[in-house]
Amino acid sequence: MLTLIWLVQALCISLTTASIDELLHSCGHINPPSAVVQCGSNFTAVCVVKEECMDFFHVNANYIYWKTSHFTIPKEQYTIINKTASSVTFTNIGLLNTHLTCNVLTFGQIEQNVYGITIISGFPPEKPKNLDCIVDEGKKMLCHWDPGRETHLETNFTLKSEWATEKFADCKPKHDAPSSCVLDYTIVYFVNIEVWVEAENALGKTKSDHINFDPVDKVKPSAPRNLSVSNSEELSSILKLAWSNPYFKTVARLKYNIQYRTKDASVWSQIPCEDTASTRSSFTVQDLKPFTEYVFRIRCIKADGKGYWSDWSQEASGITYEDRPSKTPSFWYKIEPSHVHAYRSVLLIWKTLPPFKANGKILDFEVTLTRWKSSQLQNYTVNDTKLRVNLTNDRYIATLTARNLVGRSDASVLTIPAFDFQAAHPVMDLKAFPKDNMLWVEWIAPNESVSKYILEWCVLSDKSPCISDWQQEDGTVHRTYLRGNLTESKCYLITVTPVYADGPGSSESIKAYLKQAPPSKGPTVRTKKVGKNEAVLEWDQLPVDVQNGFIRNYTIFYRTNVGNETAVNVDSSHTEYTLSSLTSDTLYMVRMAAYTDEGGKDGPEFTFTTPKFAQGEIEAIVVPVCLAFLLTTLLGVLFCFNKRDLIKKHIWPNVPDPSKSHIAQWSPHTPPRHNFSSKNQMYSDGNFTDVSVVEIEANVKKSFPDDLKSLDLFKKEKPSTEGHSSGIGGSSCMSSSRPSISSSDETESAQNTSSTIQYSTVVHSGYRHQVPSVQVFSRSESTQPLLDSEERPEDLQLVDHNADDILPRQQYFKQNCSQQETNPDISHFEQSKQVSSVNEEDFVRLQQQQISNHISQSCGSGQMKMFQEVSAADAFGSGTEGQIERFQTVGMEAAIDEGTPKSYLPQTVRQGGYMPQ
Amino acid sequence: MLACLCTVLWHLPAVPALNRTGDPGPGPSIQKTYDLTRYLEHQLRSLAGTYLNYLGPPFNEPDFNPPRLGAETLPRATVNLEVWRSLNDKLRLTQNYEAYSHLLCYLRGLNRQAATAELRRSLAHFCTSLQGLLGSIAGVMAALGSPLPQPLPGTEPTWAPGPAHSDFLQKMDDFWLLKELQTWLWRSAKDFNRLKKKIQPPAAAVTLHLEAHGF
Repeated sequence: MLTLIWLVQALCISLTTASIDELLHSCGHINPPSAVVQCGSNFTAVCVVKEECMDFFHVNANYIYWKTSHFTIPKEQYTIINKTASSVTFTNIGLLNTHLTCNVLTFGQIEQNVYGITIISGFPPEKPKNLDCIVDEGKKMLCHWDPGRETHLETNFTLKSEWATEKFADCKPKHDAPSSCVLDYTIVYFVNIEVWVEAENALGKTKSDHINFDPVDKVKPSAPRNLSVSNSEELSSILKLAWSNPYFKTVARLKYNIQYRTKDASVWSQIPCEDTASTRSSFTVQDLKPFTEYVFRIRCIKADGKGYWSDWSQEASGITYEDRPSKTPSFWYKIEPSHVHAYRSVLLIWKTLPPFKANGKILDFEVTLTRWKSSQLQNYTVNDTKLRVNLTNDRYIATLTARNLVGRSDASVLTIPAFDFQAAHPVMDLKAFPKDNMLWVEWIAPNESVSKYILEWCVLSDKSPCISDWQQEDGTVHRTYLRGNLTESKCYLITVTPVYADGPGSSESIKAYLKQAPPSKGPTVRTKKVGKNEAVLEWDQLPVDVQNGFIRNYTIFYRTNVGNETAVNVDSSHTEYTLSSLTSDTLYMVRMAAYTDEGGKDGPEFTFTTPKFAQGEIEAIVVPVCLAFLLTTLLGVLFCFNKRDLIKKHIWPNVPDPSKSHIAQWSPHTPPRHNFSSKNQMYSDGNFTDVSVVEIEANVKKSFPDDLKSLDLFKKEKPSTEGHSSGIGGSSCMSSSRPSISSSDETESAQNTSSTIQYSTVVHSGYRHQVPSVQVFSRSESTQPLLDSEERPEDLQLVDHNADDILPRQQYFKQNCSQQETNPDISHFEQSKQVSSVNEEDFVRLQQQQISNHISQSCGSGQMKMFQEVSAADAFGSGTEGQIERFQTVGMEAAIDEGTPKSYLPQTVRQGGYMPQ
Repeated sequence: MLACLCTVLWHLPAVPALNRTGDPGPGPSIQKTYDLTRYLEHQLRSLAGTYLNYLGPPFNEPDFNPPRLGAETLPRATVNLEVWRSLNDKLRLTQNYEAYSHLLCYLRGLNRQAATAELRRSLAHFCTSLQGLLGSIAGVMAALGSPLPQPLPGTEPTWAPGPAHSDFLQKMDDFWLLKELQTWLWRSAKDFNRLKKKIQPPAAAVTLHLEAHGF
């Protein structure tokens, strides 16, 4: 194992040695051996390979190939010069810094590097420009220049300088500042020096223009030192400056720049240059404000302006001496409520003078009050800016002066008018507007001569009282801005009062904002009234504290749950708005935004639902319905009341007490009891409860055929009238579904006939006839007809006369359908009388209603079927067979009443086949 | 020292005649030379103070006024007023030129002896400045068309440190050198002021173009 390792090591060493050997004995070389090439030029390199190498590798120049940094150069750039030499040509070389290697392909594929060179491209140096020098006082001369374009090559600059008689040492720039150089000898002033720069690199050498100058003209002096400021007690408008000049003053004359500013200002003022154009070490600055701190600074340059300005000196400040106040203080008063009779509590207020007007420290104020037309003087010396005095109701003159160390200001005079003074002459056209972040007030002066204006203002707020600030303006002013700490989005109430010689004038007020903002809260909208299709919204005006500006308009947004939002603009003067065209029974969401000039703010959302019905709509429906119902009920009741007998009879039939019947005789042949509901049982039931016995004579009259005809005629119409069997009358009390007497021809059966017969209520006739001879008794539930017959012998008699010839009498049982108490015969008779004057046909038509009444009064339970139809016929106004039949009957009765010899035969007899035989 | 002087004088004639085409005249260069003399005066004042302090008492005492011994070779600045007035411009300039040529050589010797580096720096600067003055005077002379004086082979300045001089006498020579320089600068200022007034500059700004082909 060890042996193997040793062998490997030995092999490695031998190989390394061999390769080093090869390196040492290079196979060829490149000409040129190194290259610095100018950008844009062409470059050709030739690789010459030694012949022994060629032979060793069995190659020739065709096997030579070139590479730059591992990239093979295309063969097109190669030129085979001879068997051992190949060249490569680069045209228009760009910026590069690369290695170029010459290689051969040995044995067809193994790369063998022959030689390599480095190619660097760049530019020759440009001529340095803008060479200039500066001599910082106390330091050595520095020259600087513009080296021109980047050469990408190592370029050396040399600053050369010489006198006419002497050459100075070259100056080599430091590596970090290749375009400037500090000459290392102390410069000599007043001897011209010539300076130039030479630049050199691998591609060339150039030099700048020569500059020839006296170094004294390139000096930047040191800044003046020890600047001091002192004031003068004699003159409050001057300050004296003193300073130490730089050493350069001994070399050349100087001129200066002196600048000053007030302590708080940022802009410097400069003393005219012509005043400081000569060497000096002090200066007196004039026209300064009294008692004001000024800051000064100074710099210098050679008097002829050649060279450079020195740096500014350190700043020094001084305060001018005090002067008497140059302005009278602003002076105003307020009258406060006083508890003392005949006295007024007057608060005199004034403003401290601004420093530039006070011209010193204000020590105190002196107030003098003079009563009008009196020499009495009241003097006060106040340190504060207000004075509260009790004055009588007379007019007073107040004067105010401010005092400082030097003297007093002029007096500010204010007239406090008498108690009963009437202010007048206000300013006109008062306006307030923000501009340049200030609140300006503008007005038109009154026609009278104004001595001054007082502007008062305060923040309008619901939360805090209006604490006013004020300022005074001269009488000539008609536009000013409020000099106070104004806040944005606050409503200011500004009052302008002109002050005249005899007292203040009337005040004018205006509201204004320094800067508006959107309201901090939106208005809260609510509904005042909600209708089916509209809603009345109402809201409160926003409190002034949240308005933040003038509310210009409102916008109401409303929407349904699903619908789009609708916006409505409302004028700011409104507090109510009606939304119309709403959908009923819908949830609406409404909110409201208030807008100032700067924007708006939404209020909370309010939800309401429109009702399904408008107000009163339900009432409009319900009340008529109720009324109708009531009416119907009433009518029904009335009807029932009218028909109470019928109802009573129907519901509570009046069962005659047989024991009380005077004429009660029980027939041995008890007829079957009438059954209302069943035809079949009509005669089978022996229990007669509602049967009257009717006897009819089958007396054929002359007019009988006519009657028959008319009946036939009506019969034909019958089918068309069948459907009308459910009139009010019918439904109310005739609910029988049995076919009426005239329902069809086939139904003209015995029972119908019997019904019809029972209509032939010539009960009395039957009764009359039966009285003497025919002893046919039928059991009657009602005693009435019987009683009636008994009670009216005349009537019976009358009929009797007419019916004398009627033989034989037909007797049959008839269901007694009516309550006899109503005395149907009488009404019957009366109705007959009414129609007596008209012909028979007319009579038929006209008497429908009456007949109806008649029927309803007189019909028996068995007749109800017929009545029903008749009533129906009445209601529809068209004749029916039943009617006609009945009319005829009536007509017959009428005829009887009139005594007219008319054929009298109930039509039913003919119809039903109950004709007397 | 001689070599020094010779070098200066050798070079100066090589200063070619000033290019006077379009030249505004010698006025500006006279003014500049005047300013330089004033500046050198000022410079020398501080240098002399420092150097006399270096020499020590009694040389730095204000009222020290020794007799002029051993400094005879130094060019004398003091001259009779009438004689001075009678001098013409060329002669005046020549005298100045010759005097400063000598003084510069002496001064360079002084520089080598100076002990402190600061003093040597000041002396070197002053020498440079004085050389500048010489160049300026040469320029003015060239502008005025007067030839530069050739160095006289026999008049070798005897200012050489040697055993012949005691240390005190050496210091005395230094003292007188500085004193004579001061007087010369004062006189030169007067000379150039006079010359300046005589030749009013027609234009304000003029640059003296010197071609240094000789270097």
